[in-house]
Amino acid sequence: MPTRRDLFSRLSDGLMGTALASLLARDLPAAAPTLYDLTPKKPHHPPKAKAIIQLFQNGGPSQVDLFDHKPALTKYAGQAPGRDLASEVRAVRETGGLMPSRYRFSRHGQSGLEISEALPHLAKVADEITVVRSMYTTHLAHEAALFIMHGGRILPTRPSLGSWILYGLGSENQNLPAYVVLDDPKGPPINFIQNWQSGWLPAVYQGTRVRSEGSPILNLHAKAEDPAGVVDLTRSLLHRMDAAHRDRHPGNAELQARIANYELAARMQMEATDALDLSKESEATKEAYGLNDERTASYGKRCLMARRLIERGVRLVQVYIEGQIWDNHNKIWEGLEYACGKTDRPSAALVRDLKERGLLDSTLVVWGGEFGRLPIAQAPGDTAGRDHGPSGFSLWMAGGGVKRGFGYGATDEIGYRAAENKVSVHDFHATVLHLLGMNHRDLTFQREGRHERITDEFPARVVNEILA
Amino acid sequence: MPIRSIPRFALPFLLTVAAAANPRFAFDVLPILRAKCIACHGDKAAQAGLTLTSRDALLRGGHSGAAVLPGKPNDSLLLSMVSTGRMPVAGPKLTPAEVDTLRQWIEQGALNAGESPGAARPPVAQRDVETILSAKCWVCHGRREQSAGLDLRSHASLLRGGRSGPALVPGNPEASLLVQRIAAQQMPPPKLQEQFSVRGLTEDELAKVKQWIAEGARPDSEKPLPVQPAADPAIRPQDRAFWSFQPPQRGTLPATGHPVDALLPAKLPPASPQALLRRAYFDLTGLPPTPEQVTANKNDYPALLDQLLASPRYAERWARHWLDAVGYADSEGGNNSDLPRKNAWRYRDYVVRAIAENKPYDRFLTEQLAGDELFDHRTVTRLTPAQLDLLAATGFWRMAPDGTNSTEQNFIPERMDVIAGQLEIFGSAVLGLSLGCARCHDHKYDPLPTRDYYRLVAVLTPAFDPYAWLPGEFPCGGVGAKCDENSTRYYVAKATPEYAAAQAHNAPINARIQTLEASLAALDKSGATYKKDKADLEAKLNKERALRKTPPLVRALFDLGPEPPPTRILLRGDVASPGPLVEPGPPSILSAGLPEYRPVPLAHSSGRRLALAQWLTHPAHPLTARVIVNRIWQQHFGTGLVSTPGNFGRMGAAPTNQPLLDFLAAELVRTGWDLRAIHRLIMTSAAYRQQAGEGGFPLRRIDAESIRDSILQIAGRLDTTQFGPPDPVKTLPDGEVITTSRRRSLYVEQRRTRPVSLLETFDQPFMNPNCVQRGQSVVSSQALHLMNSDLVRENARFMAGRIADAVGDNPAAQIERAYLLALARKPTAAESAAALDAFARLTPEWTRQLEADRPAEPVAGRARWLALSTLCYTLINSAEFLYLD
Repeated sequence: MPTRRDLFSRLSDGLMGTALASLLARDLPAAAPTLYDLTPKKPHHPPKAKAIIQLFQNGGPSQVDLFDHKPALTKYAGQAPGRDLASEVRAVRETGGLMPSRYRFSRHGQSGLEISEALPHLAKVADEITVVRSMYTTHLAHEAALFIMHGGRILPTRPSLGSWILYGLGSENQNLPAYVVLDDPKGPPINFIQNWQSGWLPAVYQGTRVRSEGSPILNLHAKAEDPAGVVDLTRSLLHRMDAAHRDRHPGNAELQARIANYELAARMQMEATDALDLSKESEATKEAYGLNDERTASYGKRCLMARRLIERGVRLVQVYIEGQIWDNHNKIWEGLEYACGKTDRPSAALVRDLKERGLLDSTLVVWGGEFGRLPIAQAPGDTAGRDHGPSGFSLWMAGGGVKRGFGYGATDEIGYRAAENKVSVHDFHATVLHLLGMNHRDLTFQREGRHERITDEFPARVVNEILA
Repeated sequence: MPIRSIPRFALPFLLTVAAAANPRFAFDVLPILRAKCIACHGDKAAQAGLTLTSRDALLRGGHSGAAVLPGKPNDSLLLSMVSTGRMPVAGPKLTPAEVDTLRQWIEQGALNAGESPGAARPPVAQRDVETILSAKCWVCHGRREQSAGLDLRSHASLLRGGRSGPALVPGNPEASLLVQRIAAQQMPPPKLQEQFSVRGLTEDELAKVKQWIAEGARPDSEKPLPVQPAADPAIRPQDRAFWSFQPPQRGTLPATGHPVDALLPAKLPPASPQALLRRAYFDLTGLPPTPEQVTANKNDYPALLDQLLASPRYAERWARHWLDAVGYADSEGGNNSDLPRKNAWRYRDYVVRAIAENKPYDRFLTEQLAGDELFDHRTVTRLTPAQLDLLAATGFWRMAPDGTNSTEQNFIPERMDVIAGQLEIFGSAVLGLSLGCARCHDHKYDPLPTRDYYRLVAVLTPAFDPYAWLPGEFPCGGVGAKCDENSTRYYVAKATPEYAAAQAHNAPINARIQTLEASLAALDKSGATYKKDKADLEAKLNKERALRKTPPLVRALFDLGPEPPPTRILLRGDVASPGPLVEPGPPSILSAGLPEYRPVPLAHSSGRRLALAQWLTHPAHPLTARVIVNRIWQQHFGTGLVSTPGNFGRMGAAPTNQPLLDFLAAELVRTGWDLRAIHRLIMTSAAYRQQAGEGGFPLRRIDAESIRDSILQIAGRLDTTQFGPPDPVKTLPDGEVITTSRRRSLYVEQRRTRPVSLLETFDQPFMNPNCVQRGQSVVSSQALHLMNSDLVRENARFMAGRIADAVGDNPAAQIERAYLLALARKPTAAESAAALDAFARLTPEWTRQLEADRPAEPVAGRARWLALSTLCYTLINSAEFLYLD
């Protein structure tokens, strides 16, 4: 006989929520120690941000070409890197000398935040964002670096940050998935579904992939719909059969929940369809997000969907890009033009749009990848690129309680290694949780005798300096 | 060591004595340590390997690493321990002024009197250098290969050197070849670094090597940590008394009656014969009974159990449970490419065969842990199928996610992760203990010191050598002994006719390939047609290469030969922080009453895993039998007698009925580890045979594979072909992963990153690394799958067609048949009437739909078939189909 607690731990999407809770309240004893559901939970302290949109930039955007201006690279152009940098190179045989950026940097807005000309749209919202230039991570392969960025360790078994957030806060909308993943129709990111897995947290906290084209959720419709009369007859016959079966097992909450599921499946169809329907947006909005431009349309569409979902109380939306477009091992100038061309305008539009709608204060936007890139050339020459650089990289955040028009931390002279005010991935996790009203030390899950947490036993601090 | 609660009286009084401005070790620091710390961390006690009697001892630190980092008070363990009050454990805490003195001393460089800043460097031990060389040099100068005659493993071999002379000159780093070659970045050779996942030394590493040589290149004189299970100071008497660390007691039972009933009386009356039949079929075979089996049910229940236990379907079903526990998958996992694990199926087939022949559990375990140590596979001239199976059985050790096939994820930490994954599987599936915590620190709740974790690692390192790691690809593609044919994770079954056939087939192809390669190398790069010629030759080469046959490969584990690598405790699990050496051995807490663990080295193997298997399958072992009978109980009842099947330790659940658990465990041993005997014992009990419902048999949903397999079976479309490579899956444009296979789900490819959507939705586990207890979720995507997926809709139509073939046109007879197929019972009169009514109303709906398409043929027959399909579809969607009464 499943207990109420067991049952809740097994409900794995946002659709059950309160309706089911009220159903169950009639059948089961009230007191239950822990409810693993998606009803809103009280944070540890008053939150700055209620929701988070993560614009994940797979591949490792090159900090010295985008956010981290390093004039010294021009001075030392072509010189061999030091032994430490050399020991971090993956493609040992292709190692070249230090390579300056081709982009000019200038100061923007009242804050004078330095951003490269590769990101002209972001530059226009410079006064809204905080750039962290002293991030570092501990692995130089995409997979492991993604595991640590999403799950806190280089191992693949752990819950994602998003799952922790849902576990801690629940969701404001019980008819939509609470943690939505909008992946690119052109292809999934590295590590695919493991980026948003719930690991050993209950499956209810897993991210739900929602497609931005076609049917948003798997098997939401049959390939060939039955005639309406057949659908009605089937539903009523099934309902009678299941009700009779349930009556033979009085008080079985699982059977009750299963019946509710069949009813809720239909409601999801409408809610999800409405949330993702961009035809209701104004022409000006569509233009701002770049929906009318082939280069930006796909990414813009998903940024706009992210805003619509957040408006409806979805807690967390992650927008991914196809594969790893920032992984510019060769032809980096072409690669950056493509990646920036695809993401710059929609990302900036999202920040501005959230601000205009009064949502930016309560929504944290995070833009960044799993690591950065080395300041040396990989396979030097016309088609040069840059190799993975885990020791120093940049990301930006906006809204949700972070400073506006602010740059934090610094790498060394050549942009290789975080040097001042270093921010580890664990610090980043602690800070995001803090903004959402949670203390990373207290957000724990009891498993096999351990109090698990996203920051594990790593030292981690909230980066107070970037908080507004 | 465990941190005990801090007694209240020990809270420090706030003293107003100011800290010294320029503290010196002997005058200001040592007195504080003497007063408050040295009782436990002196030369006599040295708790956690730490002494605090000299500055250098502080720099050296203990099992948790350096106690002091000069200039970095905030990163120094000593300061964080005393300033947070975590130390001293007993006795008065340090005063704020004392803490300040320590802080200042560390900040100013942790100097002895008279030293200038920067002088405080911890001495470098041989083990520190070994850590660097093992990761970066041993692949070519170690166990499998001594390139240029150079072996960098031991102090003696370093001095002996290779063909170019001694590797080092003690006291003179600049004159040492080792330093010269590394400093010039000749070693490790840049062109080989990528392939073998090796990187050049960092400044810090090179500095350490130099310092060690400059300090005289002193050898470590250390012996592995001794362990005597019967008198182990790491284990407290109250730990030994914990229930699961004591051997199971059979107890005394009434002379008559069913022993299980005596220990666990049933609360509800017996289930109906039909319900019991369906329950037994699903539990033992994962499939429903056919209508014929339902109607032929003679109520001879014991005979039915014998018949089911002898069925190949039983072996498949229970192989599935075992494969869950060991984390079976057809892909490597660990990284994004999630490469196919092409020969994993041989292990799956081994498990199916072993269960089909009811292999005793002790033998079953021994073969999986050490099948390669049961005969000398290196010298055998003709491998029998049974011997091939023994090698396949060691696939047990090859189940964990393993991303080390990527050269970017094949560094020492990731190799240790693979070993950790395997030990986690071994711990949760076989031993019933969670071992993972002890990788980084002494287990907080169970008496499992870190030492015991690494003793288990040492059982595996002769085969899983972190410094001679076998490549995953076949053939490896490199040169030297590290890359010969026997150096992949695949055992090449040479002594088989298949191998000879593959060789004969490949010989002429290889000859042609050699010729082509020679022509390719001889091409004139400046020639006008170079590009085209090169492309042509490469195309031909690829064509030829594709023609080659792969010899029979077994994904096995086997020792790599003599001289196992040293195994050390890794402080905090960190490969850069080597601790004391350990010897192989099982956890001390479980070993007190058992014969000593003593591996007998074999000609081809260390014997360490065989000794582990013998230890594990000793009749008096406290956990082995309990863990497996508990999981059998769990598969039958949904929950085990211990509800945490992978953790029988202190943080696991206490048994709900220990006498019953122990009785079953004792029975297993008494019957010669006969698993079928345990099934019979459980399934003939009144507890199993009672009605489903509150307090009785728990109503349970059938699992993912049973859902898919049953739908195929009742549609008459299940292909019961056994064994062999798995049937592939494919991803549809909308992201759904399906398979067109009609074999049992056991034989469908299990890519970790591409789970079949239907199975995943119904809680097929994601193997990371394994699963000893499946979840049972109730989510709306399940409803969506059953309502809308092609699998259900298509098979409902096949089911309808099959029914019409069997019983003709009569709707009542069709409905009865549909119930028998889907629910293993006849419909009641009311159900039959309701279904007939629905059928009568569905037929015109379908007729209207069909006629709207202006058909060229009569539609009546088709409409009736579609109406019956709709009824079948409804039955498949019903709760009763999905749940076992």
